[in-house]
Amino acid sequence: MRLATPLLTFIRVSVYVFLLAPIVIVVLASLNAGNFLTFPPQGLSLRWFWTFLQNDVFIDAIIYSAVLALCATAVSLVIGTMAALYFVRHATREAEVVRVGMLLPLILPEILTAIALLFFFYEIGIGTEHQIALFTGHVLMTLPFVFLNVTTSLQGRDESVELAARTLGASRYTAFRRVTLPLIAPGLATGGIFAFIISFDTFGISFILKGAGSAPLPIQLYDYLRFNFTPEAAAVSTVSILLTLVLVTVSDLVFGRE
Amino acid sequence: MKRLRASLLIAPSAALIFLFIVLPYITVLVMSFRAPAEGQPYGEGFSLEGYTHFFNESYYAMSLPQTMFLGLLTTLVCLVLAYPVALHIAFASKRWRGFLYGIVLSPLLVGIVVRSYGWTILLGNSGVINSTLRNMGLIQKPLPLMYNDFGVVLALAHVFLPFMVLPLLSALQAMDPAITQAARSLGASRFTIFRRVTFPVSMPGVQSGCILVFVLAISSYVTPALVGGMRVKTTTLLVVDALIDQFQWPFGSAMALILAVSAGIVVLIFARLTRMKWT
Repeated sequence: MRLATPLLTFIRVSVYVFLLAPIVIVVLASLNAGNFLTFPPQGLSLRWFWTFLQNDVFIDAIIYSAVLALCATAVSLVIGTMAALYFVRHATREAEVVRVGMLLPLILPEILTAIALLFFFYEIGIGTEHQIALFTGHVLMTLPFVFLNVTTSLQGRDESVELAARTLGASRYTAFRRVTLPLIAPGLATGGIFAFIISFDTFGISFILKGAGSAPLPIQLYDYLRFNFTPEAAAVSTVSILLTLVLVTVSDLVFGRE
Repeated sequence: MKRLRASLLIAPSAALIFLFIVLPYITVLVMSFRAPAEGQPYGEGFSLEGYTHFFNESYYAMSLPQTMFLGLLTTLVCLVLAYPVALHIAFASKRWRGFLYGIVLSPLLVGIVVRSYGWTILLGNSGVINSTLRNMGLIQKPLPLMYNDFGVVLALAHVFLPFMVLPLLSALQAMDPAITQAARSLGASRFTIFRRVTFPVSMPGVQSGCILVFVLAISSYVTPALVGGMRVKTTTLLVVDALIDQFQWPFGSAMALILAVSAGIVVLIFARLTRMKWT
């Protein structure tokens, strides 16, 4: 028994290191001054960040991914919140069907959903043109996260505050805007941030459904990594990690911890 | 009137899920029975050729047990690594809990491409681990850490570990500490408490974590592609290859459905063996 405790501690610490190692190593590799990903690094430098800033392919990809994620998040926030309101306030016998249905995009394998969407959009004659299929896929992937977060923040709230507002003469719209919305704001923020990050990072959907021309960041990174081993990819990855960190920190500071 | 107004709330999501999840999956099912064709994704009429082709060609057929093996091994590694961590977090002080929770969730905030890439930097022939060992004079030739089952399972376990820790954690946190105290005061050893009390109580978490990780692992694409370097052939890689590169839609669909049904059978066997209660 005396042996078991240090052993368990060792396993635990190893697992925490294991979880963080690949992420830390990517950041360290991006600071490598050499031409290749060698270890130990040949000095520290920001040259690969400079190379990356001059590479239109990656800059375009980051902008493309950010715009796509923003649009998908906006749509998901609206319809996901509506669905959460229905689920918490109105659903009775069909509640379980609604919940499972809303979580389907999360439960089903992403790559299979992407393939299914590809066939479907070809069958109706759109294919991968105009980024309609890609955008639809991103809305689907982000929807469960908005639904889950808003549902959680609604479940803790009493509907009677809204009813009180209505009794006091507020219109349905005013009651929603002035009473319900502020109450579920933290859920909306967390759901929105999650949705943005999921869309920004998702691979399968973008890989299968991207049309000709520009592609989201994970796809460009994947294409690059198949044939190149320079630390530029690490610089791109580091920027993407930093972007996520900033988003999470800002939301944490503004909305506090749930 | 009130019901009608309320149902407007669910209408957009319901339409989205029906149109873009339910109908497309039906399309895949129909596609798998279409006839193959040269020069175009599929031909006229229907046939079973997609299914027979898979089982007749050992190149494809053998990928199925290989994929199941990788999935099961990844699940086992995740369970073994996640359990001590989940126990630690569940009974940690409040101040530490948030921090440790953050470490466990952090991989989820980094894209799957970046995480798999991190593993290639660590495991490659001239990667961090091999160079360090060589510089220390411990090895002459680089150890084969990547482009094989070992590297793929390690990277997959990393990618999906949070999905094992979270269900375990919620099962453990729901446990009443009084139960373990009772067991202890009745003279049970720590190992007996774990075997007879803690583990059985956490069983629902073990079950959902295992199923989640298994399904995610066998259907993942990026990690086997990057860390396996296309040398580890999983059925998912072959499905994408058949559909996107070779334009064989009926065959690719049949393969995807064979994988899905096989995964379903494995999950059902697992549920039966562990006497899972479906909720």
